Amino acid sequence: MKNKHVNAIVVGAGAGGGIIAKELAVNGLSVVLFERGKWPVYDEHPNDELISQRTEVLGSPFGPDPKKNPRVLLHGNNKQIVTPITGGYSNNAACVGSGTVSYGAMAWRFMEEDFKLKSTYGHVEGSTLEDWPITYNDLEPYYEKAEWEIGVSGDDTQNPFSPPRKKRQPMPPFEYNREGQVLHDASKRLGLHPFPIPMLRNSVPNNGRTGCIRNRTCCGFACPVDAKNGTQNTVIPVALATGNCEIRTNSKVVEIMINDSGQATGVKYFDDNDKPQVQTADLVVVSGAAVETARLLLNSKSELFPNGAGNNYDWVGRNLMGHAYTGAFGLFDYDILDFSGPGATVALCDYNHNNSGIIGGGVLANEFNRLPYLFTNIRPPGSARWGKKHKAFQREMFHRTAQVVGPIQEMPVFESRVTVDQQVKDYWGVPVAAMSGERHPLDYKHCKFLSSKAEEILIEAGASQTWQSVGGRGGPSGGQHQNGTARMGNDKKTSVVNRYGQIHEIDNLFVADGSIMVSGGGFNPALTIMALGFWVGNYIVKNFAGTKFKG
Amino acid sequence: MFASTKKSILNSLEFSKASKQNEYIKTCNSENKTNNNLSMTTINRRTFIKAASITYGSILLFPSCLTSPGNFRFFTDEEAKCITALCEQIIPADESPGATSAGIINYIDKQLTEVFHYDQTTYRDSIKNLQHYCTKTFGKRFENIEFDQQTNILTSLESGELTKEDWPDGNASSFFNLILSHTMQGFYGSPIHGGNKNYMSFEMLRIDYPLVIGQNRYRS
Repeated sequence: MKNKHVNAIVVGAGAGGGIIAKELAVNGLSVVLFERGKWPVYDEHPNDELISQRTEVLGSPFGPDPKKNPRVLLHGNNKQIVTPITGGYSNNAACVGSGTVSYGAMAWRFMEEDFKLKSTYGHVEGSTLEDWPITYNDLEPYYEKAEWEIGVSGDDTQNPFSPPRKKRQPMPPFEYNREGQVLHDASKRLGLHPFPIPMLRNSVPNNGRTGCIRNRTCCGFACPVDAKNGTQNTVIPVALATGNCEIRTNSKVVEIMINDSGQATGVKYFDDNDKPQVQTADLVVVSGAAVETARLLLNSKSELFPNGAGNNYDWVGRNLMGHAYTGAFGLFDYDILDFSGPGATVALCDYNHNNSGIIGGGVLANEFNRLPYLFTNIRPPGSARWGKKHKAFQREMFHRTAQVVGPIQEMPVFESRVTVDQQVKDYWGVPVAAMSGERHPLDYKHCKFLSSKAEEILIEAGASQTWQSVGGRGGPSGGQHQNGTARMGNDKKTSVVNRYGQIHEIDNLFVADGSIMVSGGGFNPALTIMALGFWVGNYIVKNFAGTKFKG
Repeated sequence: MFASTKKSILNSLEFSKASKQNEYIKTCNSENKTNNNLSMTTINRRTFIKAASITYGSILLFPSCLTSPGNFRFFTDEEAKCITALCEQIIPADESPGATSAGIINYIDKQLTEVFHYDQTTYRDSIKNLQHYCTKTFGKRFENIEFDQQTNILTSLESGELTKEDWPDGNASSFFNLILSHTMQGFYGSPIHGGNKNYMSFEMLRIDYPLVIGQNRYRS
């Protein structure tokens, strides 16, 4: 049976797509929200480190199925096929809510400088560093919407570097755990400005759901009491309740159909039973995250766009970024960890911007609770990797190892990219994403800077031994914070979408996820992706007239 | 453990797994020919399975074919002794139990027939190499060598010191890294995967187990 024509198709029910679906549905547009995964269930993988978003050695708890969804890693001529289990896959979950089900849920607003890196720091050799076509002020109301509609606990007044805001965060901040308090006090002594991490979790009962119970296994897992806020338990239920939005789970969109006059007419997909189907619509929004969004655009070839939708200037898939994590460890002679979830409680933004010789920088925070298998790889340099000494360290230091860590603002690189591999196909016969490229050399320099600052805090906190763990080398980047592959810009020759997420030259095709970010910030990107979802959604609602999109 | 297959669309990943699988099925069958104790019914069943897999162009895993006569899914009892001793070196018993008590052999054995099936050849070949080296150098199989001497052997495996002559495929250190990570996973991961019997590593690490939502009390 033919699917009924709708106003809008949204591809991907994650941080961006869930919000778009809600914005359109409550404003009266008929919407089909496609999700290639299923509704997440906590009970399938409770407290199981080996099948979690932290360690996927035995499986990916929130999808996609490793057997059906390979990707390719290219290192020069060396082609490696990767799955969520093998590593190097850049998996951020395939389920309703996507990464927002299992994330650590830090709720950062980018700083004003993050939107104008080039005018702040100048041209960077070997990088496509650029200003965003929008400013912090443009996005501020949408950050506020994200904070209130999804639900954030925090108190920005304690962070002197926070960008201006009109309205406070809706819930009070979380208390520090023991590690957080120790690091807070040490940072204060150093003249730094620590504050409680804003979180997309309920510090108090909110929106009909309970407050956080500080479950040990939080980051990397679904919440057993639903106190973590994602799109799956906030905006998507709102969208469905309007009666205007239908969610189609286990439905794999494989192509956006573009007609001969250069308009999107709908999508081709494989339904829940793997049967090929067509859904037509007046407009299409792609929110598949940086890797899959690029793949879908590249796989959508048409007469006017023979190299993929919006790719006539070869910018789709370019500038793949993520976050190199960097920091330091410290050993203490008492139990500094109490393992109340999620672990990360304190942060500081002193090393985001305004540091001599550093472009961008990054936030520093204490780390999410480490689980036992992950901890087996955390040892001071030169330590035993096995045997009695390794085991003794595990036993004695599991509660006594503090970590200060942060994501670095990566320098976008044109050759760091997503392409499609015509030889390797997924279960449905569709060419898969291939990731390639190297990080910019400055990333390592910036990581070393941030790691040395992290180590200073641990020394001040009284660690008996410290060591740095410096990221930022190799590549390609990507990971759960993947972004950048459908860059936003004013010039169609050097970007993929305009300032409203609208593909240049296809006025009824939009992108709303991390792909459109011009730079990734020195912060976890979830709240910014959500704000962009509201920003793009608002533009569509205001400019959609009847069955036609008037740009 | 079925990866589906009647679809004409098999990606190259699946193809490569499939070819390894077929190689393995061949190995199984050739071993069977030398096994006089094998009953006719088993041969018939295996022949049938092989035929079926060709008919359907299938990449199905047949656990029955991978099972050795003995107590394990993948390992022979002899192989299991060797792996158990290796794991105990990686996580030895001291004031708290080690890899043997935690049942790490069960974790590795189970996962080799499931998620880690592509590591089967590496394990089988590496055990052969190790036993060959030990018999030649010490006149004993690995599991019968003194603990401290075993430790020295592992150190050589880790550093890749063993020569091509001692370890014909030249991959001693990559096998070491493989069994190292598998042992750590089995010991420190959830018991539902076959290791960490009774959460014994969680007890050692002083973490609450089992995690009962809303009931656990964190130590002050």
